[in-house]
Amino acid sequence: MTATTAKEQSIASSIQLRAVTKAFGSVQVLKNIDLDVASGKVVVLIGASGSGKSTVLRIMSGLETADSGEVVVGDVPMHDPKRAPEIRGHVGMVFQQFNLFPHLNALGNVTLALRKSLKMSKAEAREVGLRCLERVGMQDRCANYPSQLSGGQQQRVAIARALAVNPRIMFFDEATSALDPELVGEVTSVMRSLAADGMTMVVVTHEMGFAHRTADRVVFMDDGVIAEQGSPEQVLKDPQHPRTQQFLARVLEA
Amino acid sequence: MNLELIWDNLPQLLKAFLVTLELSAVSIAGSTAIGLVVGALRTSRVPVVSQLARAYVEIFRGSPLPITLLFVYFGAALYLGYSVELFVASAVGLSIYHGAYVAEIFRSGIEAVPTGQREAAQTLGLSPMQTFRYVVLPQTRRIVFPPLIGQYISLIKDTSIAFVIGMVELMKAGQAIVDRTAEPVPVYLTIAALYFVICYPLSLWVRRNERKIVPA
Amino acid sequence: MLYQWRSVLEYLPDFLRAMGLTLWITLLAFALALVCGLGAALARNSKNAVLRLGAGAYVEIVRNTPVLLQIFVVFFALPSFGLRMDAVTAGTVAIGVNVGGYLCEVFRAGISSVARAQREAAQVLGLSSRQAFISVIAPQALRNVYPATVNNLIQVLLGTSLLTAIAVPELTGVATVINARTLLFVQVFAIALVLYLVLSNALSFASGLLGRVLFKPPLEQVRPGLWPVRRARTITTTAEVAA
Ligand SMILES: Nc1ncnc2c1ncn2[C@@H]1O[C@H](COP(=O)(O)OP(=O)(O)O)[C@@H](O)[C@H]1O
Ligand SMILES: [Mg+2]
Repeated sequence: MTATTAKEQSIASSIQLRAVTKAFGSVQVLKNIDLDVASGKVVVLIGASGSGKSTVLRIMSGLETADSGEVVVGDVPMHDPKRAPEIRGHVGMVFQQFNLFPHLNALGNVTLALRKSLKMSKAEAREVGLRCLERVGMQDRCANYPSQLSGGQQQRVAIARALAVNPRIMFFDEATSALDPELVGEVTSVMRSLAADGMTMVVVTHEMGFAHRTADRVVFMDDGVIAEQGSPEQVLKDPQHPRTQQFLARVLEA
Repeated sequence: MNLELIWDNLPQLLKAFLVTLELSAVSIAGSTAIGLVVGALRTSRVPVVSQLARAYVEIFRGSPLPITLLFVYFGAALYLGYSVELFVASAVGLSIYHGAYVAEIFRSGIEAVPTGQREAAQTLGLSPMQTFRYVVLPQTRRIVFPPLIGQYISLIKDTSIAFVIGMVELMKAGQAIVDRTAEPVPVYLTIAALYFVICYPLSLWVRRNERKIVPA
Repeated sequence: MLYQWRSVLEYLPDFLRAMGLTLWITLLAFALALVCGLGAALARNSKNAVLRLGAGAYVEIVRNTPVLLQIFVVFFALPSFGLRMDAVTAGTVAIGVNVGGYLCEVFRAGISSVARAQREAAQVLGLSSRQAFISVIAPQALRNVYPATVNNLIQVLLGTSLLTAIAVPELTGVATVINARTLLFVQVFAIALVLYLVLSNALSFASGLLGRVLFKPPLEQVRPGLWPVRRARTITTTAEVAA
């Protein structure tokens, strides 16, 4: 890879949110969110349920549009409704409920976008798909349907599916929350290896161990605002905001 | 359209409509009783019992209502004499037939109650009957009611099929007027309106309360 | 006893011919029902208010009045408007239009049952909405509506027995005629019952086989019948109920 393309990539995979607001009906879900994610960094979003974490991810991935403010993901200005669709296929999203396509087997899930939106040949898509499944340790199960896989395996296939289109940024929305405790590790270790490879990641999670070991920055959201952010050491070990302290006390107790 | 014709025959139609309502009410009660028993037997752990209940359900769900009605009608006539009331034969036929569908509704409701509930009740010392009556049945309510009302709507419309054994309810009374006056349009419209006022509100209720199909 | 069965079984060719007509009407009416149901489902989701209202009225009227009445309307009332059909055609049309109203609702529910999450997953992957519909939504919707559609096929079959009321020589009609001739109602209606069970079970069974090859992963048990089945897995935990 030459220096220029590396530089282009480093510009193209950062995220900036400026004064972002979002309401559902009369409920103000996001109030003035400012957030920067430099390329190659891992930002972990924590906060109580309903504080707006998913909404932030959904706005960054183009599933929702902000009511006001600026959202730039990679080089796509998401606040411009005409240009927002450009982001599709360039970011990956991993959902709490996996959202695998039940009528396709693991390989079919991973190759669908390769064949339909990237127009790869069947053989080419298969090759890329198998490589992605291998990366998450699921190549042996490529012919299994989602209903035949454990939760952890399904989530790893979902990660492979997101990786297949070669995204520059990955979003994880409570990717391990629906899993049995003993299956969490297999998914977080895949996530850690992605981070080690330099993927830009925004991760909503309640796994404080993951946050502590992997995050470059931890952002605590409370009721639609960012109450506190900083290094994992700062936020998790020495929180300043009373709401952060309360939240961490509750999570660590559980 | 001949409004006068409707006006002249309205009392007759309304009287027949009343018969339809009575037949519906009696058959709803009958089919619910049968459905409750067969549905419960269907979930029995004794294979012979549950298989017999299954056969009952599948025989009626796989054959048309007129056959059941004809069986009941001629059977009653043979063994009880021709004095047997058409109303009774119709109500029995409708109850037996729709009972099979009602049984399936109760069965799926019963099976949706986690077995842990039954085990908990057993450890508390409830008898199987008590467990069914006080623990299982109440929990099926939310699952069972919408399809049950849907089945009642079908039953109400199906009372018209008693036509085939000559039962004079709304449909048959209306057809008699059509045969006499050769004016089908106003008569059918009136009949349709009468069925509609009963069934449509029930349909609306079902739609508001039914569980959406969830992917398997 | 035996000679009674023998004298009724002499009519077996008549029964079988009637059974053939029943099956033929069933298939024609079901094809019509599919067309009506699909058309009405599209119309009910269309942007044109007139189409939406018309389809809505069709569905509500057809579902909230008796089929027998609808059969009579087509056979006895439509001629007043210059639309004259023979009994078989009238019956086929009435039943097809009737079941179309039910299928319309099945199809609509099928499309909306494919969770929003599935559309979103497809969208993030970069599929266009057309591609998402074809590759993600339609296959799942088809799978979801398949069992209910098969149930409606059986409803068509059972509905054809009402055509005896307009003197169509289908299975029920022929059975009543033979009954009047022999006065052996047990034997006559038992044979009719068995033949109906043969038809409905054959249709269910064939639909089940089709469901297994049509869908991936194979659709288990579409509509139960009288044939023995493995006991369906029952739901045992609250978590599974919620899921
Ligand atoms: N599509 C929606 N319609 C209405 N309210 C919504 C919608 N999505 C989220 N909300 C509301 O917005 C708030 C924040 O939701 P979310 O971003 O999902 O929070 P979190 O992910 O932190 O739990 C919640 O109160 C939620 O009920
Ligand atoms: Mg969330």
